Amino acid sequence: MTAMVKAEGVHKSFGAIEVLKGIDLEVAPREVFCLIGPSGSGKSTFLRCINHLEKINVGRLYVDGDLVGYRQQGNRLYELRDREVAAQRRDIGMVFQRFNLFPHMTAVENVMEAPVQVKRESKAVARERALKLLDRVGLADKAGNYPAQLSGGQQQRVAIARALAMEPKLMLFDEPTSALDPELVGDVLDVMRDLAESGMTMIVVTHEMGFAREVGDALVFMDDGVVVETGHPREVLTNPQHERTKSFLSKVL
Amino acid sequence: MTVDIDKVTGPSGAPAPAPEAIKAIQVRHYGRWVSAVIALGLLGLLVNAFAQGKVNWGTVPDYSFDKDILKGVRNTIWLTIVAMALGVALGVVLAVMRLSKNPVTASIAWGYIWFFRGTPVYVQLLLWFNLGLVFEYINLGPIYQDEWADFMTPFLAALLGLGLNEAAYMAEICRAGIQSVDEGQTEASHALGMSQAKTLRRVVLPQAMRVIVPPTGNEFINLLKTTSLVIAVQYYDLLQAATNVGQTSGGTVEMLFLAAIWYLVVTSVLSVGQFYLERRFARGSLRQLPPTPWQKVKANVGSLSTRGTKGGGGA
Repeated sequence: MTAMVKAEGVHKSFGAIEVLKGIDLEVAPREVFCLIGPSGSGKSTFLRCINHLEKINVGRLYVDGDLVGYRQQGNRLYELRDREVAAQRRDIGMVFQRFNLFPHMTAVENVMEAPVQVKRESKAVARERALKLLDRVGLADKAGNYPAQLSGGQQQRVAIARALAMEPKLMLFDEPTSALDPELVGDVLDVMRDLAESGMTMIVVTHEMGFAREVGDALVFMDDGVVVETGHPREVLTNPQHERTKSFLSKVL
Repeated sequence: MTVDIDKVTGPSGAPAPAPEAIKAIQVRHYGRWVSAVIALGLLGLLVNAFAQGKVNWGTVPDYSFDKDILKGVRNTIWLTIVAMALGVALGVVLAVMRLSKNPVTASIAWGYIWFFRGTPVYVQLLLWFNLGLVFEYINLGPIYQDEWADFMTPFLAALLGLGLNEAAYMAEICRAGIQSVDEGQTEASHALGMSQAKTLRRVVLPQAMRVIVPPTGNEFINLLKTTSLVIAVQYYDLLQAATNVGQTSGGTVEMLFLAAIWYLVVTSVLSVGQFYLERRFARGSLRQLPPTPWQKVKANVGSLSTRGTKGGGGA
């Protein structure tokens, strides 16, 4: 079975600052893979490399067996054209910390946009599916609302529905609950839990240790651009092996 | 005190009386009255001065809808619309080119803006008109061939002079608008698999419009007034018409006043259009759209009538 995501010695620098210093990891299909670590540890950057929002400098990154952002022929790497990168991204859903809904479109229009524009679905079909997805995230009655008329938690659930509308094989979550009021976090996590139960492969950058422990199949602790510790969430969270993991967990738990 | 106790203990079953609305004497703004009187007085003096002047005001209404004046108005409006359309279309293209990753297109756009923004529009108009010195013939193969002087009509010279100049300014306005859109929007669109072009057209530009429309309204009004320079290329615009009519019959100064009134009328109409356009593109960024003047009137009338019934009920 090919790994859904496979990273081999991934390095990423912004100018002189090296943010990722050699990441090796594997995410199996249907796995919920949690990334934790202090801010600035490179976990969000790594997530953004997976759908090529950031270009890696060293190493190889594969999604479902395909090299991300490049084509390899023999020993040579060829950069993909924008169009080809876009095609790769279709199968990878992403949910952002700050939602990034399109403010000039209603909730249902947000969800319909990519299927209509990218997959050339008819508007009627896309709308019907979008309404079903909004129902799935518990927002059937908010379909006609603009993002500014929704709470943060509602916006994030629309954003999840929007990503699901492309029927991705992999979902990336970049601190999906960090910008939310505490009482709204639960609704978003419930939706993510449902999604995990449906068998979606998910990579979740999060500070929600409870979610990681309950739902996660694997957990990685990153610090300063390297993977410090990997394991099953319950083990890593209750019995961390490394000093840095221990000191981080003692601060957040 | 007794009243308070009554309110707490009194109603058993009966609904509690609604808290009484505050009735207070409003602050009197005497300064407003004084300044209004002074302003009106000064305005009266000014009007009086103009009325006493050696201007034959009667001719202004007489020639308001004169055939030649109306032709000038039509030409001015038409030229403004066409030149603005050219400016907006080319401006968007230049803005996208300037922001492109392609260094060739970015440099071309930069050079265009540098030239057309850096020279006076009056000079540009004259240059277009006299370009026959450089290009004696225009030769587009089988499509079109002519001598420059015949090809470059006053209208075309005016259109190119104003439109190409306007494009340089519109390019900068569009660039500012595009750059005002949060980068997260582009990322979200890319993450969904939308192409560069689709992202621009479906996600970025509609949001940029909110920043682009207000200065574009200004540009439109500005352009309308700048058309008065096309007298340089002998295009028959409103000012040219007013000057002609003034010299033959209506009186020079009188017709200039008439031209000013016409310019004001058209710019006022444009301002109204701008209000509705801005409102249209505010969708999604405001929880509630600002009311239109008509809605304001209706709301005021409504609130007056409800106030009336409330007062009646209370009394």
